[in-house]
Amino acid sequence: MTGHMEREISRLKKSILALAAVVEESVKQAVIALEKRDTELAKKIIQGDLAVNQQEVELEEECLKILALHQPVAADLRFIVAVLKINNDLERIGDLAANMADRTVDLVEDRADTAPFDLEKMADKVELMLEKALDALVNYDIKLANEAIELDDEVDQMHKQSFAEVKKQIRQNPEQMDAQINYLSISRYLERIADLATNIAEDVVYMIEGKIVRHIL
Amino acid sequence: MKKLRLLWHLYPAFLVITLVAILAVTWYVSSALRQFHIVQTEKNLTARANLIIDQVQDDLTRGNAFNLDELSKRLGKKTETRITIILNDGKVLADSRENPQRMDNHARRPEVAAALSGSKGVSTRFSRTLQQNQMYVALPVSADGTIIGCVRTSIPVTAIGETLEALYQRIAGAGFLIAVVLAVLSLWLARRISQPLERMRRGAERFALGELDRRLPISGAEELADLAGSLNDMAAQLDERFQTVIRQRNELEAVLSSMVEGVLAVDNNETIIRINRAAANLFAVEPETIITRPVQEVLRKAELQQFIHDAISAKEPIERNLTIFRGNQEVLLQAHGSPLRNAQEKKIGALIVFNDITRLRRLENLRRDFVANVSHELKTPITAIKGWAETLRESKKDAPDEETRPIEVIVRQSDRLNAIVNDLLDLSRIEQEQEGAKIELQQAPIRPVIDATAQACSVDLEKKRIALTIVCTDSLKAPINPPLLEQALINLLNNAIKYSPEQSRVIIETAENGPDLMIKVTDFGCGIPTNHLPRLFERFYRVDVARSREMGGTGLGLAIVKHIAQAHHGSIEVESSPGKGSCFTLTLPLR
Repeated sequence: MTGHMEREISRLKKSILALAAVVEESVKQAVIALEKRDTELAKKIIQGDLAVNQQEVELEEECLKILALHQPVAADLRFIVAVLKINNDLERIGDLAANMADRTVDLVEDRADTAPFDLEKMADKVELMLEKALDALVNYDIKLANEAIELDDEVDQMHKQSFAEVKKQIRQNPEQMDAQINYLSISRYLERIADLATNIAEDVVYMIEGKIVRHIL
Repeated sequence: MKKLRLLWHLYPAFLVITLVAILAVTWYVSSALRQFHIVQTEKNLTARANLIIDQVQDDLTRGNAFNLDELSKRLGKKTETRITIILNDGKVLADSRENPQRMDNHARRPEVAAALSGSKGVSTRFSRTLQQNQMYVALPVSADGTIIGCVRTSIPVTAIGETLEALYQRIAGAGFLIAVVLAVLSLWLARRISQPLERMRRGAERFALGELDRRLPISGAEELADLAGSLNDMAAQLDERFQTVIRQRNELEAVLSSMVEGVLAVDNNETIIRINRAAANLFAVEPETIITRPVQEVLRKAELQQFIHDAISAKEPIERNLTIFRGNQEVLLQAHGSPLRNAQEKKIGALIVFNDITRLRRLENLRRDFVANVSHELKTPITAIKGWAETLRESKKDAPDEETRPIEVIVRQSDRLNAIVNDLLDLSRIEQEQEGAKIELQQAPIRPVIDATAQACSVDLEKKRIALTIVCTDSLKAPINPPLLEQALINLLNNAIKYSPEQSRVIIETAENGPDLMIKVTDFGCGIPTNHLPRLFERFYRVDVARSREMGGTGLGLAIVKHIAQAHHGSIEVESSPGKGSCFTLTLPLR
């Protein structure tokens, strides 16, 4: 009975990590597509999001099945609860990556070449955050999780700056408004991805320590 | 149950055997002694009785009771024996320890009864007179053939017992001493047997721990020495095997780590068994930290995970191109996955080999773009030259030959150059499409393609008045790309016309040959020498350089045919005999 549950849980871990890999990659690809203005890649990402959604549903069902069949307690229960939440966050990140790809397609049509803010730096930071959060999940590493949580403030700051920058650009070049709004959306998506990565890191902390670290300053 | 040491098996057994032996011997000896003592005592009493008989015979016959009593008391005190003299009616006449008047009739005593009936009576029993256990011997006294009484001698049994007791004690003492000595001796013996075994056990344990270079001392009994020898041999062999295994593992490790290709081995649960340096670099991971961990944990690349999953579940080796991201760099990998089997042919996982083809792909793209670009760039000036040369020729129509000939040369050569560039473009296009598997094959009838070919070449056919025969049914269909096949057939037919004399024949015939469709283009022209046949389909290969140029060939026609045949998964062959003609056979699969 216990052995059975252990197997199920290790399978669950593999599945959530597989989903994490897909989502992390789609974020990276979304950034590359945006930087290279690669509509082919962007369309591939939008397509790929469907598979992510499918995987999310399967994972959730798997979690519920384990909960119902095995009634796990303590660490196992925390793990499954964390997986349920991380699963949700990952799916949202996947959606945001697809949204970014959407904006990329729009931007190519708008023929807007340069972002009004340092998109690359922001994307790098967000990718780093996501990577740290997922590494923390893989290695049960509280230190990495905390590092990821700390990075969120920087990303928020960057988003604020890009907001101001976009506003300025629109005032100066009102004819480029469409493109600027697209860039603002992208900045917002990146900021949201960072938030969700923070959530994942917090869930990892919860899973390891059983302590809910959300909303603690 | 706790296992006892050999010593504790041997020693108690030795002890028990010793004790049992000692007890048995003691018991036998003491009972024999007792028997002997009783017999001796009886003989003794008999002898005394006989001695007394001689002395009492006279008195007894006379019935001198007083004398007898006095005699018995005297002799009894001297010999520490109770002496009783009894008349044949059982009346006691004399006794050394008691007043005979007070004693009852002894006729019923067993020894007396036996003696009175004429034989020797022996009995050991409780004496009511003396109130203790006595041994009695009674002998008859006869006078003139009649028994007149008997003489009885007796000693207390306790006396016999005391003697025996002293003997027993000495025997027991000796037995105990012997037992103690033997106990010590058998302990020593048991140790002597078990100690070499103990040494050997410790040695074998050392072997088990891997200290294979130490050897067991070969000593002791033959069996033990043999055993030690065998153990040593075993250790030596194990040592050799281990060395071999270690060496092989190191070799394997060296081979793997010096491979340029990345190698990754996973088990059925998608856990990493082995990864070489190249693969670790490819995925930017440390080999030591990721071995024995699931792929999902350590290689967070979605496509790679999917490929590994497929490679494990696939029965056949699989191959796929993977795109992974290293930082923001795209890396293109060609991955081969094949099942990993153990010695029992059981599937234990998958082996995946990665080739970094990023650079290769980039170079290939460069080359392809280069050919296409160069051809394009060349076309523009050629068209200009050709245009102007033709205009010049028109304007100098009436000029003398010396002036028009150079212009003719320019026109002809620019035509040729144009043809070459066109063919090159065709060739690179077919190549590109073939690589990208972009050539679409559709089930289509063959006949219209052949008719179109004939139509395209009709001008040349008429010019040389060559009769073309087409043998093909309308219903014949095959998976083809009609424009490409038409181009191939035009090239073949053009060649046939070029090398045929005027007013000859050319035949195009089709035939089904098992799973294949064969299209033959046969001419009856000059033919091709055999030594040229193998290289005929190479680019720019010419049988007769001067003549081919004269005829306006580009040297690319047959190369294009070959590529088209390959694009159809088919082949092209040629048979020819100089002076008689040639036959080109295009073979295409029907399915």
